[in-house]
Amino acid sequence: MSYLRRLPKFEYLAPRTIAEVCALLAGHADEARLLGGGTDLVLQMRRREVTPRYIIGLKGVSELAFIREAACGSVIIGTMTTIEAIVSSAVMRKRYGILSETAAEIGSPEIRQVATIGGNLAGALPCADFPPALMVLGARLKLQSQQEERMVPLEDFFLRFERTAARRDELLTEIHLAAPPPFSGGVYLNFHDRHSMDMTTTGVAAFVTSETEHRSFRDVKIALGSSAPVPLRAKKAEAALRGRDFSEEILEEAASLVCAEAEPRDSWRASKAFRLELIKTLTKRALDGAWKKALASSNGRNA
Amino acid sequence: MKNSLPVSLRVNGEPYELLIPPWRTLLEVLRENLCLTGTKRSCQEGQCGACTVLLDGKPINSCLYLAVEAQGKEILTIEGLSRSAGGLHPVQKSFVEKGAIQCGFCTPGLVLATVALLDQNPNPSEDEIRKAVVGHLCRCTGYVQIVEAILGAASEMAKQERGQATFVTDV
Repeated sequence: MSYLRRLPKFEYLAPRTIAEVCALLAGHADEARLLGGGTDLVLQMRRREVTPRYIIGLKGVSELAFIREAACGSVIIGTMTTIEAIVSSAVMRKRYGILSETAAEIGSPEIRQVATIGGNLAGALPCADFPPALMVLGARLKLQSQQEERMVPLEDFFLRFERTAARRDELLTEIHLAAPPPFSGGVYLNFHDRHSMDMTTTGVAAFVTSETEHRSFRDVKIALGSSAPVPLRAKKAEAALRGRDFSEEILEEAASLVCAEAEPRDSWRASKAFRLELIKTLTKRALDGAWKKALASSNGRNA
Repeated sequence: MKNSLPVSLRVNGEPYELLIPPWRTLLEVLRENLCLTGTKRSCQEGQCGACTVLLDGKPINSCLYLAVEAQGKEILTIEGLSRSAGGLHPVQKSFVEKGAIQCGFCTPGLVLATVALLDQNPNPSEDEIRKAVVGHLCRCTGYVQIVEAILGAASEMAKQERGQATFVTDV
């Protein structure tokens, strides 16, 4: 019962730059937690699931909140970019529709106003919606510490429940997206019990690139949320689709392969059997939707 | 452990200089330090919307927001809305007229969410309205009247906008 419960006590640190965050992490790594929007961490603290001695607040680090079009059509997103900023970004809508659409379905306007894309990744919750959508775009993450800067592919970032490849002294600073290829499109579909304001029971993202004749798949990426302890790519299904002609039958085949790769669990939210049914149906719909977007994209700018 | 931090807030147009322990939420500070109890405490999880306030004009759940992180921000609570409008705000009037208030506990949050919605989108469709207030629970379940009240407020404010271009809703 958390109704009247206060937050546990902590010391609040308010860095203004990435360098200051890294210095604080280097000094307090084992006793500190980074606070982005706080829509997950504040709840976890109220429930006493985490009781850090230091909270490093990131809201004042303005150099982490940006969406920037970079060279060669790539885009870089700062990790303190709010979900609302992604919904309302013209760059996102034009280049990565899958991300605008995913963002618009998360939580409520009140949550989207403060929750951040970095928090959605760094929390490493299996039900997060951005990991599958970003994985099919081949996103890469920049991790920074006092010692070094390194890039990690998003698909290698999630180790297990609530655990990522980021060391305790590292800050997730940027999400890098390559320019989408011509004739490509992506869709993320998720299922909740309620239309909004509910955790995702299961989510499937698909990103497809069609051959120039618009009959066969040049490339396919499929990623799953809430279907295993961590978000994951369904690489066997992807390989099976590559080079084949689009058809209803091949969507069925892909959906079965995706189900074989998923490891959903039984929980109060949904049984394993129900989740597998959802994965099958959502995979077919996501692939079909992504294929239609790919055909509709005139110059490859509508991922 | 350092206890309190100095924080400057502007709440409903009034400046406040406070010393706040960092683990206090904006909701707790509004209700308990400033005695602005129009902002309601309910689920404490960001699900119900009863604690909604406007932070620099945008709706947030004040139960999930640390008060120290509101440093330098402009906060509008339900108390400030009627003051700035001189009497009831058109959104409040519309909630009364359409019977959108039963027990009234969800009303402050819904009214502020509506003010933020109409600021961005003065003529929302019913679907847009439902999406905008998705983070608000009404246990009396008068959702139909709430949507009607928001539609009514939009048309009333559009009328006022045409008649009297200087109607002030900002603090």
